[in-house]
Amino acid sequence: MSVASFKKYITLALCSMQNTLAYRLSFILNFLASFIGLIAMYCLWQAVYTGRDQLSGFTWEQMQAYLLVTFFVNSMLSYYSESSISGKIIDGSVMMDLLRPIQFQKARLAETLGSCVLEGLLSCILIGTAAVFTLGISLPQDGVGMLQFGISMLSSIFVKFCIVYMSALLCFWTTSSFGIYWARTSITNLLSGALVPLTFFPGWLESLAMALPFQGIVNTPVRIALGMTGRAEAWQMIGVQWIWIILLWLLGRWLWSRAVRQITIHGG
Amino acid sequence: MKIRNTPRRILYLYWRLYSQQLKAMLEYSADFYIMIGAAALTQITGFLFLWVVFSRIPDIQGWGLWEVAFMYAAIYVSEGVGSLFFEGTWRMLRLVNLGELDRYLVRPVPIVLQIFCTGIGMNGIGNILIGGTIIGISLSHVQMDWNLSTVLMAILLFVSAITIRIAINLAANCSSFWIRSSGNAFPIMIHNLGEFAKYPITIFSLGIQLFISIVVPFAFVSFFPAAVLFGKEPWSWWGWLGPLVAVCAVWLSLGLLRIGLGKYESAGN
Repeated sequence: MSVASFKKYITLALCSMQNTLAYRLSFILNFLASFIGLIAMYCLWQAVYTGRDQLSGFTWEQMQAYLLVTFFVNSMLSYYSESSISGKIIDGSVMMDLLRPIQFQKARLAETLGSCVLEGLLSCILIGTAAVFTLGISLPQDGVGMLQFGISMLSSIFVKFCIVYMSALLCFWTTSSFGIYWARTSITNLLSGALVPLTFFPGWLESLAMALPFQGIVNTPVRIALGMTGRAEAWQMIGVQWIWIILLWLLGRWLWSRAVRQITIHGG
Repeated sequence: MKIRNTPRRILYLYWRLYSQQLKAMLEYSADFYIMIGAAALTQITGFLFLWVVFSRIPDIQGWGLWEVAFMYAAIYVSEGVGSLFFEGTWRMLRLVNLGELDRYLVRPVPIVLQIFCTGIGMNGIGNILIGGTIIGISLSHVQMDWNLSTVLMAILLFVSAITIRIAINLAANCSSFWIRSSGNAFPIMIHNLGEFAKYPITIFSLGIQLFISIVVPFAFVSFFPAAVLFGKEPWSWWGWLGPLVAVCAVWLSLGLLRIGLGKYESAGN
């Protein structure tokens, strides 16, 4: 990609960042709303761990860290960014994108990454505050561990983007996006390990989850952050994330070429 | 001529308004099935979560899997009834921001009835089906002696629970009269407080317990009715306050709507 065409996408990313800032009250309230879920889960696990040292290889300290890092990973690419992709298709403004000399998929990725910067910052602040109250959290101390977590975190956003993008494209065939959004969220939450660590699953469900791309969204970065993997294993998990990113990206491109033929726009 | 709003007239009007919406909904049948499927899927994964947790531990503070599943499903069923029959509360923001409420104000039909019928959430069917099934299985797993009085009591508690849930929805969405924003963020935040009522509330700090019992009474939708049905002491007597709380909640939310309507200025179209 030439420098000039790369600049177009940078501009899109900056625009989407400004858009997020324009609706900051809704943005922050939405964020706090998801924080309620975190508090409920925290208290539930606290009650579960009362009188127990560990469950399925997790101590209470590790579970606390698991919840916080999961919240951080999940707050990236929130409903806000997701609905902006499907919204374009539902209200027909995708037509404008078809006229522009940019690739739809790359442009959406640029916008998503733009708002992810702000989402990441805000959740860092909230998590930082929460971490003060929940002491005893162990995050990777050494440089390589931090680097691996950083890479896996970024890859996790890419994996999630690819899945979100494809589910948004399904809106070419429907007239509403909520149903698809809900279905995608519940499948992702279960199979990525966002609801409960995958090691808690019965064997068959754990194997199924590990064979699907969703585990790259939460399970991989969180396990690396908690230091539950060896060095080599961590690199291997990141490699798996990237295999999925490439596969899903190509699949997304194919789906777009099919979907765009479906387009129906009423009036203009 | 003065028109009297007898219960019969209200039911008739509700049915007429509702059936018109239903016809509009059925135009898009693909969405209809996707919504039902998505809601069912969400609930099944929620139940799987509980099942996975309880496969590792016997109980949470004396509450077994099926007792917690009952509470979990109660929250979902109440949400489902809200979506299926009273979804319009979630459209209030649109009605107020776009000035569409004008239309409603000039009709000789109670405003709240028109608001309720502004939309239908087909996801409610998914919620009610799966939630109802989970409640049924839960009740069959928990030792209870059913007789006429317990059945009547269960029905009374159920109706109160649903009423409270809808009153909370209505009150939360009245925020659109005050908060000038483009999104439903505030009512969604209130809606999310329901997360706390999916589990025995004793696992939370006293502040949260009081908040979801008194300020936003989600505990009366799931926890207290469950406590009465399963005879959990010392909570069961609280459950008897359910019908009273329902009446108060309805009264307060309608009051809030009235104050909000007083503040309403049309968008000027």
